[in-house]
Amino acid sequence: MIGKGLLKGLGITLKHGVEKPKTIQYPEQRPYLQERFRGCLEFDYKNCIVCGMCTKACPNNVLSFETAPIEGSKKKRLVSYTIDLQYCMFCNLCVEACPTNTLFFVHDFELSTYRRDEIKKVYIPPALTQVDAGGGQAELIPQDALEPDREAEAEAKRLKQLQAMKTALSKGGQKVLAKYVDTEEDAAVLANLLQADEKKRDKMAALIVDDKEKARKVAQAFVAKERKTQAGGEEK
Amino acid sequence: MEHLFTNIAQILTSWMVSLGLPPIWADLILLIGQWTIIVVIVTLNVIVLVWLERKISGFIQERLGPNRLGPFGAFQTIADAMKLLTKEDIIPSQADRWIFMTAPMLFIVIAVMLYAVLPLGQGMEVVDLNVGLFYFISLGSLSTICLLMAGWGSNNKWSLLGAMRSVAQMISYEIPLAFSLLGVVMLAGSLNLSEIVTAQNRYWFILLQPVAFLTYFIAATAELNRGPFDMPEAEQELTAGAYTEYTGMRWALFFLAEYTNLVAVSALAATLFFGGGQGPWLPSWLWIIIKTYLIMLVFMWMKWTFPRIRMDHLMSFSWKVLIPVSLANILITGLGIEFFRGMGW
Repeated sequence: MIGKGLLKGLGITLKHGVEKPKTIQYPEQRPYLQERFRGCLEFDYKNCIVCGMCTKACPNNVLSFETAPIEGSKKKRLVSYTIDLQYCMFCNLCVEACPTNTLFFVHDFELSTYRRDEIKKVYIPPALTQVDAGGGQAELIPQDALEPDREAEAEAKRLKQLQAMKTALSKGGQKVLAKYVDTEEDAAVLANLLQADEKKRDKMAALIVDDKEKARKVAQAFVAKERKTQAGGEEK
Repeated sequence: MEHLFTNIAQILTSWMVSLGLPPIWADLILLIGQWTIIVVIVTLNVIVLVWLERKISGFIQERLGPNRLGPFGAFQTIADAMKLLTKEDIIPSQADRWIFMTAPMLFIVIAVMLYAVLPLGQGMEVVDLNVGLFYFISLGSLSTICLLMAGWGSNNKWSLLGAMRSVAQMISYEIPLAFSLLGVVMLAGSLNLSEIVTAQNRYWFILLQPVAFLTYFIAATAELNRGPFDMPEAEQELTAGAYTEYTGMRWALFFLAEYTNLVAVSALAATLFFGGGQGPWLPSWLWIIIKTYLIMLVFMWMKWTFPRIRMDHLMSFSWKVLIPVSLANILITGLGIEFFRGMGW
């Protein structure tokens, strides 16, 4: 039949016309990336054994690093590691060559920069300290591993205080509260209020631990409000 | 609702007469009013059509089409129109200035004049002309002259060649276009468009004249320079043929006229083959809008489906296929009419 092909063509365009558009409206919508998508090349200095296999594997001389000898050991230590991403063609050869999975691709594909030198990524591992690993062997570990984590400690301390304060307030704690209000009576009112209301209790406890000045103001406001509602209730 | 616009017109006329105007003046003012409204609506409609065309092409190619400006990208065409209006108006120094400048204006004027006889609802034609269809076809063929003017006025040999190609194509397809309409005229026994609509009270002419509709539709596509017959413009291959030297608003006028022609030709198809404003429940003026838009959607659907055909194929298709078919259609229609008349119907 003449025109059969034309009708078939119209059918095809109609079918595609009612289908959902394939467009992904980047950057509002993000594309779905497969697990092994090769985005930016990343380097994790913790695993690096400074074997140099990656630089040998790279066809474009993207990778380079500096080393320094370790005293009393045949090993070398890494001073800096450079990925000059502008020459990288994402061929995966370095990732395959690396024996410790130090090099890997991440899903970040927005690699453009305003300046040419910004695309060059330099990794400098933190200074290492030699420690005795036992049996006369020297081992290098990062300096910050030796030093206790002060921030984490402070946070733990704060949490402990907060928990203690919460328990104290839930059991009454008039003596604690007396510091933040003017009279004993007020303290009693506040203690009752806080025992009843868990949200206010938590807020008060956090304020007492973090900011004593503010805690005072809030405590007085709580008392004033509570008095007012009590008075209002009596009038009714 | 059916007589909404005709009632408004009557009320306006009687109001003007009551103010002491002679009736002929009142009619004239009303005519100018109707005319202005049609021109404004047709021009604004182009904005919708361009948006629709881009959306449809997007959907067919599984894209989104315009979607940034306004809801569903509806304001994109307005921004485009603004851009075209504010562009520099370049007239080539060697161009034939007057012909170059009048060609687009004449083109749009002719395109808008087509609407004078179209019944946009029951009793809603601007002029109830007894040779309405003849007027429509003759005006339609005038637009070839504008294309030739544009090509000649540009004083550019490629523009002129493009114009010649367009003119060859349009004149070739004018013949099957007119012939295919003759069958309808023979059935209705009138060239008056509103009478043709009334003649379709029992059957739409698409049922009696399917071949005529097909030839009309194909010839109209070629007349409109739309895909798959968009050889004269051929965006991807030629630099817009006769329009090469035009920029900004002058170029936009050609564009505007082509879409205006699209609406006119679709409205004529709705009038001649699909019973015009006839239809249940809805008022006649709404029916004709719905039918016109459906036909235009088919035009767009075709444009974004079929590849452009070659120039010699295009010409031989007109002369070797469409003209014989439409002539045979006239013959069979005539024989059929005589046969049924002899049967005493």
